[in-house]
Amino acid sequence: MSEETSLLDVDELQIELITANGVVRAVDGVSFTVGRGETVTLIGESGSGKSTTAMGVLRLLPEGLAVCSGSVRIAGRDVIADPGAAPAVRGRTVSLIPQAPMTALSPVHSIGRQLGGAIRLCHPELSRAEARDRGTELLAQVRISKPETRWKAYPHQFSGGMLQRILIAIALAGEPQLLVADEPTSALDATVQASVLDLLMELQERTGVGMLMITHDLGVARLVSDRIHVMKDGRFVESGPAEQIVRRPAEPYTRDLLAAVPRLGAWDEDGEGHTEPAVQGAAS
Amino acid sequence: MAAYLARRIGQSLLTVFLTLTTVFLLVRLAPGDPAAAYAPPTASSADLQRIRAQFGLDGPLITQYGIFLRDLFTGDLGTSYSFRAPAFDVVMDRMPYTITLAVSAIAVTTVIAVPLGVWMARRADTKRELGANVLTIAGQSMPDFWTGVMLLTVFAVLVPVLPASGFTSWSGLVLPTVTVAILQLALVSRLVRREMTVALAAPYTTVARSRGVSERALAWRYGLRNSAVPLLTALGTRFAALLNGVVVVEVVFGWPGVGSLVVRALATRDYPLIQATVVVTATLAILVQLIVDLAYPLLDPRVRLGKAA
Repeated sequence: MSEETSLLDVDELQIELITANGVVRAVDGVSFTVGRGETVTLIGESGSGKSTTAMGVLRLLPEGLAVCSGSVRIAGRDVIADPGAAPAVRGRTVSLIPQAPMTALSPVHSIGRQLGGAIRLCHPELSRAEARDRGTELLAQVRISKPETRWKAYPHQFSGGMLQRILIAIALAGEPQLLVADEPTSALDATVQASVLDLLMELQERTGVGMLMITHDLGVARLVSDRIHVMKDGRFVESGPAEQIVRRPAEPYTRDLLAAVPRLGAWDEDGEGHTEPAVQGAAS
Repeated sequence: MAAYLARRIGQSLLTVFLTLTTVFLLVRLAPGDPAAAYAPPTASSADLQRIRAQFGLDGPLITQYGIFLRDLFTGDLGTSYSFRAPAFDVVMDRMPYTITLAVSAIAVTTVIAVPLGVWMARRADTKRELGANVLTIAGQSMPDFWTGVMLLTVFAVLVPVLPASGFTSWSGLVLPTVTVAILQLALVSRLVRREMTVALAAPYTTVARSRGVSERALAWRYGLRNSAVPLLTALGTRFAALLNGVVVVEVVFGWPGVGSLVVRALATRDYPLIQATVVVTATLAILVQLIVDLAYPLLDPRVRLGKAA
Protein backbone atom coordinates (compact mmCIF):
# COMPACT_ATOMS: atom_id res chain seq x y z
CA MET A 1 0.00 0.00 0.00
CA SER A 2 2.77 2.43 0.95
CA GLU A 3 4.34 1.58 -2.40
CA GLU A 4 1.46 3.40 -4.09
CA THR A 5 1.17 6.44 -1.88
CA SER A 6 4.77 7.20 -0.91
CA LEU A 7 6.31 10.38 -2.24
CA LEU A 8 9.72 8.99 -1.58
CA ASP A 9 10.43 5.30 -1.61
CA VAL A 10 14.02 4.33 -0.92
CA ASP A 11 14.85 0.67 -1.25
CA GLU A 12 18.21 -0.89 -0.37
CA LEU A 13 20.10 2.30 -1.21
CA GLN A 14 23.83 1.81 -1.23
CA ILE A 15 26.30 4.64 -1.84
CA GLU A 16 30.01 4.17 -2.26
CA LEU A 17 32.23 7.23 -2.21
CA ILE A 18 35.57 7.25 -3.96
CA THR A 19 37.99 9.07 -1.66
CA ALA A 20 41.74 9.55 -1.51
CA ASN A 21 41.90 6.65 0.93
CA GLY A 22 39.96 4.27 -1.27
CA VAL A 23 36.33 3.40 -1.66
CA VAL A 24 34.11 4.03 1.35
CA ARG A 25 30.65 2.54 1.66
CA ALA A 26 28.95 5.59 3.18
CA VAL A 27 25.42 4.21 2.90
CA ASP A 28 24.98 0.49 3.23
CA GLY A 29 21.53 -0.67 2.20
CA VAL A 30 18.94 1.61 3.77
CA SER A 31 15.22 1.46 3.01
CA PHE A 32 12.56 3.95 4.06
CA THR A 33 9.55 5.85 2.78
CA VAL A 34 8.19 9.36 3.18
CA GLY A 35 4.50 9.94 2.54
CA ARG A 36 2.50 13.11 1.94
CA GLY A 37 2.41 15.44 4.90
CA GLU A 38 4.81 13.21 6.75
CA THR A 39 8.18 14.03 8.27
CA VAL A 40 10.74 11.28 8.42
CA THR A 41 14.04 11.98 10.11
CA LEU A 42 17.42 10.39 9.61
CA ILE A 43 19.48 11.01 12.71
CA GLY A 44 23.06 10.11 13.46
CA GLU A 45 26.48 11.44 14.26
CA SER A 46 28.61 13.10 11.61
CA GLY A 47 29.96 10.46 9.29
CA SER A 48 26.98 8.18 9.83
CA GLY A 49 25.90 8.61 6.20
CA LYS A 50 22.71 10.58 6.79
CA SER A 51 23.64 13.60 4.65
CA THR A 52 25.10 11.33 1.99
CA THR A 53 21.74 9.55 1.90
CA ALA A 54 19.93 12.87 1.45
CA MET A 55 22.26 14.07 -1.29
CA GLY A 56 22.13 10.64 -2.92
CA VAL A 57 18.34 10.76 -2.98
CA LEU A 58 18.60 14.04 -4.94
CA ARG A 59 21.52 12.73 -7.03
CA LEU A 60 23.58 15.72 -5.94
CA LEU A 61 26.73 13.81 -5.05
CA PRO A 62 29.65 14.59 -7.39
CA GLU A 63 29.37 12.56 -10.57
CA GLY A 64 32.13 10.02 -10.82
CA LEU A 65 32.96 10.17 -7.13
CA ALA A 66 29.81 8.49 -5.85
CA VAL A 67 28.34 5.20 -6.95
CA CYS A 68 24.69 4.64 -6.04
CA SER A 69 22.76 1.40 -6.26
CA GLY A 70 19.36 0.21 -5.10
CA SER A 71 16.33 2.27 -5.94
CA VAL A 72 15.10 5.74 -5.01
CA ARG A 73 11.62 6.52 -6.27
CA ILE A 74 10.50 10.12 -6.09
CA ALA A 75 6.79 10.33 -6.91
CA GLY A 76 7.25 7.07 -8.78
CA ARG A 77 10.35 7.95 -10.82
CA ASP A 78 13.50 6.00 -10.03
CA VAL A 79 16.32 8.55 -9.95
CA ILE A 80 18.98 5.86 -9.61
CA ALA A 81 17.95 3.83 -12.66
CA ASP A 82 16.95 6.76 -14.88
CA PRO A 83 19.62 9.45 -15.30
CA GLY A 84 17.06 11.91 -16.66
CA ALA A 85 14.73 11.55 -13.68
CA ALA A 86 16.68 13.54 -11.10
CA PRO A 87 16.98 16.73 -13.18
CA ALA A 88 13.29 16.41 -14.02
CA VAL A 89 12.05 16.13 -10.44
CA ARG A 90 14.46 18.60 -8.82
CA GLY A 91 12.83 21.90 -7.97
CA ARG A 92 9.37 20.68 -9.04
CA THR A 93 8.62 17.49 -7.14
CA VAL A 94 11.44 17.69 -4.62
CA SER A 95 13.46 20.58 -3.21
CA LEU A 96 16.48 20.85 -0.95
CA ILE A 97 16.84 23.00 2.13
CA PRO A 98 20.60 23.09 2.50
CA GLN A 99 22.91 22.78 5.44
CA ALA A 100 24.84 26.06 5.53
CA PRO A 101 22.66 29.02 4.49
CA MET A 102 25.59 31.46 4.40
CA THR A 103 27.19 29.70 1.42
CA ALA A 104 24.07 28.31 -0.24
CA LEU A 105 23.27 31.37 -2.36
CA SER A 106 25.40 32.85 -5.10
CA PRO A 107 27.06 35.90 -3.54
CA VAL A 108 26.97 37.98 -6.73
CA HIS A 109 23.27 37.57 -7.51
CA SER A 110 20.53 39.36 -5.61
CA ILE A 111 18.11 37.18 -3.68
CA GLY A 112 15.34 38.41 -5.96
CA ARG A 113 17.26 37.19 -8.96
CA GLN A 114 17.73 33.77 -7.39
CA LEU A 115 14.20 33.43 -6.02
CA GLY A 116 12.68 34.90 -9.18
CA GLY A 117 14.80 32.52 -11.27
CA ALA A 118 13.59 29.54 -9.25
CA ILE A 119 9.98 30.62 -9.75
CA ARG A 120 10.39 31.13 -13.47
CA LEU A 121 12.13 27.76 -13.88
CA CYS A 122 8.91 26.07 -12.77
CA HIS A 123 6.59 28.67 -14.30
CA PRO A 124 8.24 29.84 -17.53
CA GLU A 125 4.99 31.54 -18.50
CA LEU A 126 5.43 34.19 -15.78
CA SER A 127 7.02 37.52 -16.60
CA ARG A 128 9.77 38.93 -14.43
CA ALA A 129 7.30 41.26 -12.73
CA GLU A 130 4.84 38.44 -12.07
CA ALA A 131 7.63 36.26 -10.70
CA ARG A 132 8.59 39.14 -8.48
CA ASP A 133 5.06 39.48 -7.10
CA ARG A 134 4.98 35.79 -6.41
CA GLY A 135 8.45 35.90 -4.87
CA THR A 136 7.64 38.71 -2.46
CA GLU A 137 4.57 36.72 -1.44
CA LEU A 138 6.77 33.71 -0.72
CA LEU A 139 9.21 35.86 1.23
CA ALA A 140 6.34 37.19 3.31
CA GLN A 141 5.24 33.61 3.94
CA VAL A 142 8.66 32.75 5.35
CA ARG A 143 8.37 35.88 7.53
CA ILE A 144 10.85 38.14 5.79
CA SER A 145 9.58 41.59 6.65
CA LYS A 146 9.29 44.23 3.90
CA PRO A 147 10.08 41.73 1.13
CA GLU A 148 9.61 44.31 -1.67
CA THR A 149 12.48 46.42 -0.38
CA ARG A 150 14.73 43.40 0.02
CA TRP A 151 14.19 41.93 -3.43
CA LYS A 152 17.36 43.52 -4.77
CA ALA A 153 19.49 42.86 -1.69
CA TYR A 154 22.42 40.45 -1.82
CA PRO A 155 22.98 37.41 0.40
CA HIS A 156 25.75 39.07 2.45
CA GLN A 157 23.21 41.65 3.62
CA PHE A 158 21.16 39.02 5.50
CA SER A 159 21.71 37.05 8.69
CA GLY A 160 22.02 33.27 8.65
CA GLY A 161 18.49 32.76 9.93
CA MET A 162 17.04 35.08 7.30
CA LEU A 163 19.03 33.38 4.56
CA GLN A 164 17.71 30.01 5.69
CA ARG A 165 14.15 31.35 5.46
CA ILE A 166 14.90 32.79 2.01
CA LEU A 167 16.25 29.37 1.01
CA ILE A 168 13.03 27.81 2.25
CA ALA A 169 11.11 30.29 0.08
CA ILE A 170 13.30 29.30 -2.89
CA ALA A 171 12.74 25.61 -2.14
CA LEU A 172 8.99 26.27 -2.16
CA ALA A 173 9.09 28.18 -5.45
CA GLY A 174 8.19 25.13 -7.55
CA GLU A 175 5.47 23.97 -5.12
CA PRO A 176 7.29 20.70 -4.39
CA GLN A 177 5.61 17.73 -2.79
CA LEU A 178 8.74 16.71 -0.93
CA LEU A 179 11.36 18.74 0.94
CA VAL A 180 14.76 17.33 1.79
CA ALA A 181 16.07 19.34 4.73
CA ASP A 182 19.75 18.60 5.24
CA GLU A 183 20.58 19.80 8.76
CA PRO A 184 18.57 22.96 8.11
CA THR A 185 19.26 24.43 11.52
CA SER A 186 22.70 23.22 12.57
CA ALA A 187 24.49 26.34 11.29
CA LEU A 188 22.10 28.66 13.14
CA ASP A 189 21.86 30.07 16.67
CA ALA A 190 19.58 28.19 19.06
CA THR A 191 16.82 30.84 19.05
CA VAL A 192 16.90 31.12 15.27
CA GLN A 193 16.83 27.31 15.00
CA ALA A 194 13.51 27.27 16.81
CA SER A 195 11.99 29.85 14.47
CA VAL A 196 13.13 27.98 11.34
CA LEU A 197 11.76 24.67 12.62
CA ASP A 198 8.54 26.34 13.58
CA LEU A 199 8.26 27.80 10.10
CA LEU A 200 8.88 24.42 8.47
CA MET A 201 6.18 22.77 10.55
CA GLU A 202 3.71 25.53 9.79
CA LEU A 203 4.41 25.22 6.05
CA GLN A 204 3.95 21.48 6.23
CA GLU A 205 0.64 21.89 7.99
CA ARG A 206 -0.56 24.31 5.33
CA THR A 207 0.77 22.63 2.17
CA GLY A 208 0.94 18.97 3.18
CA VAL A 209 4.46 18.71 1.87
CA GLY A 210 6.38 15.57 2.83
CA MET A 211 9.72 16.10 4.53
CA LEU A 212 12.92 14.14 4.82
CA MET A 213 14.79 15.72 7.71
CA ILE A 214 18.47 15.13 8.32
CA THR A 215 19.78 16.05 11.76
CA HIS A 216 22.19 15.03 14.48
CA ASP A 217 19.97 16.61 17.11
CA LEU A 218 17.37 14.38 18.75
CA GLY A 219 15.66 17.46 20.14
CA VAL A 220 15.00 18.64 16.60
CA ALA A 221 14.08 15.15 15.43
CA ARG A 222 11.59 14.66 18.18
CA LEU A 223 9.94 18.00 17.59
CA VAL A 224 9.31 17.59 13.88
CA SER A 225 9.24 13.87 13.09
CA ASP A 226 6.57 11.30 12.58
CA ARG A 227 9.16 8.57 12.24
CA ILE A 228 12.85 8.45 13.05
CA HIS A 229 15.57 6.26 11.61
CA VAL A 230 18.73 6.20 13.70
CA MET A 231 21.74 5.87 11.43
CA LYS A 232 25.23 4.63 12.22
CA ASP A 233 28.01 3.61 9.84
CA GLY A 234 25.70 3.75 6.83
CA ARG A 235 22.96 1.54 8.31
CA PHE A 236 19.78 2.07 10.30
CA VAL A 237 20.32 0.74 13.79
CA GLU A 238 16.86 1.62 15.04
CA SER A 239 13.65 2.82 13.40
CA GLY A 240 10.24 3.72 14.71
CA PRO A 241 7.74 6.42 15.63
CA ALA A 242 9.38 9.52 17.10
CA GLU A 243 7.95 9.16 20.58
CA GLN A 244 9.03 5.55 20.83
CA ILE A 245 12.61 6.31 19.79
CA VAL A 246 12.91 9.16 22.26
CA ARG A 247 11.13 7.55 25.24
CA ARG A 248 12.19 3.94 24.87
CA PRO A 249 15.40 3.83 22.84
CA ALA A 250 16.38 0.22 22.30
CA GLU A 251 19.92 0.79 21.15
CA PRO A 252 22.82 2.12 23.26
CA TYR A 253 23.78 4.35 20.28
CA THR A 254 20.39 6.05 20.40
CA ARG A 255 20.70 6.52 24.15
CA ASP A 256 24.08 8.19 23.56
CA LEU A 257 22.47 10.56 21.05
CA LEU A 258 19.74 11.35 23.57
CA ALA A 259 22.32 12.06 26.25
CA ALA A 260 24.02 14.49 23.87
CA VAL A 261 20.98 16.80 23.83
CA PRO A 262 21.24 19.00 26.92
CA ARG A 263 18.11 21.04 26.27
CA LEU A 264 15.81 18.12 25.67
CA GLY A 265 14.33 18.69 29.11
CA ALA A 266 13.42 22.27 28.27
CA TRP A 267 11.71 21.18 25.06
CA ASP A 268 9.74 18.68 27.12
CA GLU A 269 8.38 21.24 29.50
CA ASP A 270 7.75 24.26 27.30
CA GLY A 271 7.02 22.60 24.00
CA GLU A 272 6.24 25.00 21.18
CA GLY A 273 5.26 27.88 23.44
CA HIS A 274 8.97 28.29 24.03
CA THR A 275 9.64 29.09 20.41
CA GLU A 276 7.20 31.94 19.98
CA PRO A 277 9.18 34.91 21.33
CA ALA A 278 12.24 33.74 19.42
CA VAL A 279 10.27 33.79 16.17
CA GLN A 280 9.18 37.34 16.68
CA GLY A 281 12.66 38.49 17.53
CA ALA A 282 14.31 36.82 14.58
CA ALA A 283 11.76 37.89 12.02
CA SER A 284 11.92 41.59 12.73
CA MET B 1 34.05 57.37 -3.09
CA ALA B 2 35.40 60.84 -3.89
CA ALA B 3 38.12 60.36 -1.29
CA TYR B 4 38.95 56.97 -2.76
CA LEU B 5 39.16 58.43 -6.24
CA ALA B 6 41.33 61.33 -5.07
CA ARG B 7 43.69 58.94 -3.30
CA ARG B 8 43.92 56.66 -6.31
CA ILE B 9 44.61 59.55 -8.68
CA GLY B 10 47.29 60.87 -6.33
CA GLN B 11 48.90 57.44 -6.20
CA SER B 12 48.73 57.21 -9.98
CA LEU B 13 50.44 60.57 -10.47
CA LEU B 14 53.18 59.54 -8.06
CA THR B 15 53.66 56.25 -9.93
CA VAL B 16 53.96 58.03 -13.28
CA PHE B 17 56.40 60.53 -11.80
CA LEU B 18 58.63 57.83 -10.26
CA THR B 19 58.57 55.79 -13.46
CA LEU B 20 59.53 58.83 -15.46
CA THR B 21 62.40 59.73 -13.10
CA THR B 22 63.73 56.17 -13.30
CA VAL B 23 63.59 56.25 -17.09
CA PHE B 24 65.22 59.70 -17.17
CA LEU B 25 68.17 58.36 -15.18
CA LEU B 26 68.41 54.99 -16.93
CA VAL B 27 68.61 56.36 -20.47
CA ARG B 28 71.39 58.74 -19.42
CA LEU B 29 73.29 56.03 -17.53
CA ALA B 30 73.17 53.66 -20.50
CA PRO B 31 76.21 53.84 -22.77
CA GLY B 32 75.91 55.84 -25.99
CA ASP B 33 75.89 59.50 -26.92
CA PRO B 34 72.90 61.08 -28.70
CA ALA B 35 75.13 63.80 -30.10
CA ALA B 36 77.25 61.18 -31.89
CA ALA B 37 74.13 59.54 -33.23
CA TYR B 38 72.89 62.74 -34.85
CA ALA B 39 76.17 64.34 -35.89
CA PRO B 40 77.70 63.62 -39.29
CA PRO B 41 80.64 61.17 -39.10
CA THR B 42 83.05 64.01 -39.85
CA ALA B 43 81.90 66.16 -36.94
CA SER B 44 84.58 67.62 -34.73
CA SER B 45 84.40 67.48 -30.96
CA ALA B 46 83.35 71.13 -31.03
CA ASP B 47 80.43 70.19 -33.30
CA LEU B 48 79.47 67.40 -30.91
CA GLN B 49 79.63 69.81 -28.00
CA ARG B 50 77.35 72.19 -29.89
CA ILE B 51 74.79 69.43 -30.55
CA ARG B 52 74.88 68.38 -26.88
CA ALA B 53 74.19 71.98 -25.87
CA GLN B 54 71.34 72.10 -28.36
CA PHE B 55 69.84 68.93 -26.85
CA GLY B 56 70.34 70.31 -23.35
CA LEU B 57 72.73 67.51 -22.45
CA ASP B 58 75.78 69.63 -21.62
CA GLY B 59 75.02 70.45 -17.99
CA PRO B 60 75.38 68.16 -14.95
CA LEU B 61 72.71 65.46 -14.54
CA ILE B 62 71.02 67.30 -11.66
CA THR B 63 70.66 70.45 -13.76
CA GLN B 64 69.24 68.46 -16.66
CA TYR B 65 66.77 66.84 -14.26
CA GLY B 66 65.75 70.25 -12.91
CA ILE B 67 65.05 71.54 -16.41
CA PHE B 68 63.23 68.33 -17.25
CA LEU B 69 60.95 68.74 -14.21
CA ARG B 70 60.30 72.41 -14.95
CA ASP B 71 59.28 71.57 -18.52
CA LEU B 72 57.23 68.59 -17.34
CA PHE B 73 55.08 70.76 -15.08
CA THR B 74 54.38 73.13 -17.93
CA GLY B 75 53.31 70.14 -20.02
CA ASP B 76 56.37 70.14 -22.24
CA LEU B 77 57.94 66.74 -22.79
CA GLY B 78 60.71 68.07 -24.99
CA THR B 79 61.45 67.89 -28.69
CA SER B 80 62.26 64.58 -30.32
CA TYR B 81 65.80 64.55 -31.66
CA SER B 82 65.00 62.41 -34.65
CA PHE B 83 61.56 63.74 -35.58
CA ARG B 84 62.40 67.34 -34.74
CA ALA B 85 58.88 67.69 -33.41
CA PRO B 86 57.32 67.78 -29.91
CA ALA B 87 57.91 64.28 -28.50
CA PHE B 88 54.39 64.11 -27.03
CA ASP B 89 52.84 64.75 -30.45
CA VAL B 90 54.99 62.07 -32.06
CA VAL B 91 53.79 59.53 -29.46
CA MET B 92 50.15 60.60 -29.76
CA ASP B 93 50.33 60.15 -33.54
CA ARG B 94 51.15 56.49 -32.93
CA MET B 95 48.76 55.85 -30.03
CA PRO B 96 45.59 55.25 -32.13
CA TYR B 97 47.32 52.33 -33.87
CA THR B 98 48.46 50.79 -30.61
CA ILE B 99 45.04 51.26 -29.02
CA THR B 100 43.33 49.76 -32.08
CA LEU B 101 45.55 46.67 -31.97
CA ALA B 102 45.19 46.33 -28.18
CA VAL B 103 41.38 46.62 -28.25
CA SER B 104 41.09 44.25 -31.17
CA ALA B 105 43.46 41.67 -29.63
CA ILE B 106 41.76 41.77 -26.22
CA ALA B 107 38.32 41.51 -27.82
CA VAL B 108 39.30 38.49 -29.92
CA THR B 109 41.01 36.89 -26.94
CA THR B 110 37.93 37.37 -24.76
CA VAL B 111 35.48 36.14 -27.37
CA ILE B 112 37.47 32.93 -27.87
CA ALA B 113 39.07 32.29 -24.49
CA VAL B 114 36.03 32.81 -22.25
CA PRO B 115 33.73 30.30 -23.98
CA LEU B 116 36.72 27.98 -24.31
CA GLY B 117 37.37 28.23 -20.57
CA VAL B 118 33.70 27.53 -19.82
CA TRP B 119 33.82 24.56 -22.17
CA MET B 120 36.96 23.28 -20.46
CA ALA B 121 35.47 23.70 -16.98
CA ARG B 122 32.41 21.69 -17.96
CA ARG B 123 34.65 18.92 -19.28
CA ALA B 124 37.29 19.22 -16.58
CA ASP B 125 39.85 16.39 -16.61
CA THR B 126 38.63 14.78 -19.81
CA LYS B 127 40.78 14.02 -22.85
CA ARG B 128 39.07 16.78 -24.80
CA GLU B 129 39.98 19.33 -22.16
CA LEU B 130 43.57 18.07 -22.26
CA GLY B 131 43.55 18.53 -26.02
CA ALA B 132 42.36 22.13 -25.69
CA ASN B 133 45.05 22.74 -23.09
CA VAL B 134 47.79 21.34 -25.32
CA LEU B 135 46.67 23.53 -28.22
CA THR B 136 46.43 26.78 -26.28
CA ILE B 137 49.67 26.20 -24.40
CA ALA B 138 51.39 25.46 -27.69
CA GLY B 139 50.10 28.84 -28.90
CA GLN B 140 51.42 30.54 -25.79
CA SER B 141 54.79 28.78 -26.06
CA MET B 142 55.49 29.74 -29.65
CA PRO B 143 57.55 32.92 -29.81
CA ASP B 144 55.47 35.75 -31.28
CA PHE B 145 57.97 36.57 -34.03
CA TRP B 146 57.72 32.94 -35.19
CA THR B 147 53.91 32.85 -35.02
CA GLY B 148 53.80 36.18 -36.82
CA VAL B 149 56.15 35.12 -39.59
CA MET B 150 54.29 31.81 -40.04
CA LEU B 151 50.96 33.61 -40.34
CA LEU B 152 52.52 36.04 -42.79
CA THR B 153 53.93 33.20 -44.86
CA VAL B 154 50.61 31.41 -45.05
CA PHE B 155 48.08 34.22 -45.36
CA ALA B 156 50.08 36.94 -47.09
CA VAL B 157 52.55 34.99 -49.23
CA LEU B 158 51.30 31.44 -49.99
CA VAL B 159 47.62 32.37 -50.02
CA PRO B 160 47.75 36.14 -50.38
CA VAL B 161 44.40 37.03 -48.85
CA LEU B 162 45.67 39.51 -46.27
CA PRO B 163 48.12 42.39 -46.42
CA ALA B 164 51.58 41.59 -45.13
CA SER B 165 52.47 44.88 -43.62
CA GLY B 166 51.27 48.22 -42.39
CA PHE B 167 47.80 49.56 -41.82
CA THR B 168 46.31 50.50 -45.15
CA SER B 169 42.92 48.90 -44.58
CA TRP B 170 41.11 47.12 -41.76
CA SER B 171 42.22 43.76 -43.14
CA GLY B 172 45.73 44.76 -42.08
CA LEU B 173 44.56 44.40 -38.51
CA VAL B 174 43.77 40.69 -38.83
CA LEU B 175 47.20 39.08 -38.69
CA PRO B 176 48.67 41.21 -35.87
CA THR B 177 45.47 40.66 -33.86
CA VAL B 178 45.58 36.90 -34.35
CA THR B 179 49.25 36.76 -33.45
CA VAL B 180 48.70 38.63 -30.18
CA ALA B 181 45.51 36.68 -29.36
CA ILE B 182 47.24 33.32 -29.80
CA LEU B 183 49.70 34.38 -27.08
CA GLN B 184 46.90 35.28 -24.64
CA LEU B 185 44.48 32.40 -25.24
CA ALA B 186 46.03 29.85 -22.89
CA LEU B 187 46.36 32.30 -20.03
CA VAL B 188 42.79 33.57 -20.17
CA SER B 189 41.06 30.26 -20.93
CA ARG B 190 42.91 28.47 -18.14
CA LEU B 191 42.07 31.26 -15.71
CA VAL B 192 38.38 30.97 -16.59
CA ARG B 193 38.59 27.19 -16.30
CA ARG B 194 40.30 27.35 -12.87
CA GLU B 195 37.96 29.97 -11.39
CA MET B 196 34.90 28.21 -12.77
CA THR B 197 35.96 24.88 -11.34
CA VAL B 198 35.99 26.51 -7.91
CA ALA B 199 32.60 28.17 -8.47
CA LEU B 200 31.03 24.99 -9.84
CA ALA B 201 32.12 23.07 -6.74
CA ALA B 202 30.74 25.74 -4.38
CA PRO B 203 27.70 24.92 -2.22
CA TYR B 204 25.58 27.55 -3.98
CA THR B 205 26.03 25.69 -7.28
CA THR B 206 24.84 22.41 -5.72
CA VAL B 207 21.89 24.18 -4.15
CA ALA B 208 21.05 25.83 -7.48
CA ARG B 209 21.24 22.39 -9.12
CA SER B 210 18.85 21.10 -6.45
CA ARG B 211 16.23 23.60 -7.55
CA GLY B 212 16.39 22.45 -11.14
CA VAL B 213 18.82 24.91 -12.74
CA SER B 214 20.26 23.28 -15.86
CA GLU B 215 23.96 22.43 -16.12
CA ARG B 216 24.33 24.94 -18.93
CA ALA B 217 22.80 27.74 -16.86
CA LEU B 218 24.90 26.70 -13.88
CA ALA B 219 28.06 27.11 -15.94
CA TRP B 220 27.22 30.44 -17.55
CA ARG B 221 25.04 32.12 -14.97
CA TYR B 222 26.61 30.88 -11.76
CA GLY B 223 30.11 29.66 -12.63
CA LEU B 224 31.19 32.37 -15.04
CA ARG B 225 29.44 35.16 -13.18
CA ASN B 226 31.21 34.22 -9.95
CA SER B 227 34.53 34.19 -11.83
CA ALA B 228 34.04 37.71 -13.20
CA VAL B 229 36.35 39.56 -10.80
CA PRO B 230 39.54 37.54 -11.43
CA LEU B 231 38.68 37.41 -15.13
CA LEU B 232 38.35 41.18 -15.36
CA THR B 233 41.60 41.60 -13.42
CA ALA B 234 43.45 39.36 -15.87
CA LEU B 235 41.94 41.01 -18.95
CA GLY B 236 42.72 44.46 -17.53
CA THR B 237 46.34 43.52 -16.89
CA ARG B 238 46.72 42.03 -20.38
CA PHE B 239 45.09 45.08 -21.97
CA ALA B 240 47.35 47.47 -20.06
CA ALA B 241 50.37 45.46 -21.19
CA LEU B 242 49.21 45.62 -24.82
CA LEU B 243 48.83 49.40 -24.57
CA ASN B 244 52.56 49.62 -23.90
CA GLY B 245 52.98 48.39 -27.44
CA VAL B 246 53.58 44.91 -28.74
CA VAL B 247 57.13 45.50 -29.87
CA VAL B 248 57.88 42.27 -31.73
CA VAL B 249 54.48 41.97 -33.43
CA GLU B 250 54.57 45.63 -34.49
CA VAL B 251 58.02 45.20 -36.00
CA VAL B 252 57.10 41.95 -37.80
CA PHE B 253 53.95 43.43 -39.34
CA GLY B 254 55.26 46.96 -39.83
CA TRP B 255 52.53 48.18 -37.52
CA PRO B 256 52.93 51.92 -36.89
CA GLY B 257 52.27 51.72 -33.14
CA VAL B 258 54.11 52.78 -30.02
CA GLY B 259 56.03 49.50 -29.83
CA SER B 260 57.93 50.10 -33.05
CA LEU B 261 58.33 53.76 -32.11
CA VAL B 262 60.03 52.91 -28.83
CA VAL B 263 62.44 50.58 -30.62
CA ARG B 264 63.43 53.43 -32.91
CA ALA B 265 63.65 55.91 -30.03
CA LEU B 266 65.96 53.59 -28.09
CA ALA B 267 68.15 52.84 -31.10
CA THR B 268 68.64 56.54 -31.83
CA ARG B 269 69.03 57.59 -28.17
CA ASP B 270 66.10 59.92 -28.59
CA TYR B 271 65.76 60.72 -24.87
CA PRO B 272 62.70 63.01 -25.05
CA LEU B 273 60.86 60.53 -27.22
CA ILE B 274 61.63 57.63 -24.85
CA GLN B 275 60.42 59.71 -21.92
CA ALA B 276 57.26 60.82 -23.71
CA THR B 277 56.44 57.22 -24.64
CA VAL B 278 56.83 56.17 -21.02
CA VAL B 279 54.58 58.98 -19.76
CA VAL B 280 51.81 58.18 -22.20
CA THR B 281 51.85 54.40 -21.90
CA ALA B 282 52.25 54.40 -18.11
CA THR B 283 49.35 56.84 -17.74
CA LEU B 284 47.15 54.71 -19.97
CA ALA B 285 48.05 51.50 -18.14
CA ILE B 286 47.30 53.08 -14.78
CA LEU B 287 44.02 54.46 -16.11
CA VAL B 288 42.97 51.00 -17.27
CA GLN B 289 43.81 49.59 -13.85
CA LEU B 290 41.77 52.32 -12.17
CA ILE B 291 38.76 51.60 -14.37
CA VAL B 292 39.07 47.89 -13.58
CA ASP B 293 39.16 48.64 -9.86
CA LEU B 294 36.12 50.91 -10.14
CA ALA B 295 34.24 48.08 -11.86
CA TYR B 296 34.77 45.57 -9.02
CA PRO B 297 31.78 46.69 -6.92
CA LEU B 298 29.57 46.31 -9.99
CA LEU B 299 30.67 42.71 -10.40
CA ASP B 300 30.77 41.69 -6.76
CA PRO B 301 28.38 43.46 -4.38
CA ARG B 302 30.55 42.46 -1.41
CA VAL B 303 33.41 44.68 -2.61
CA ARG B 304 33.39 48.20 -1.23
CA LEU B 305 36.04 50.51 -2.55
CA GLY B 306 38.25 52.20 -0.01
CA LYS B 307 37.17 49.90 2.84
CA ALA B 308 39.59 47.09 2.19
CA ALA B 309 42.43 47.67 -0.20
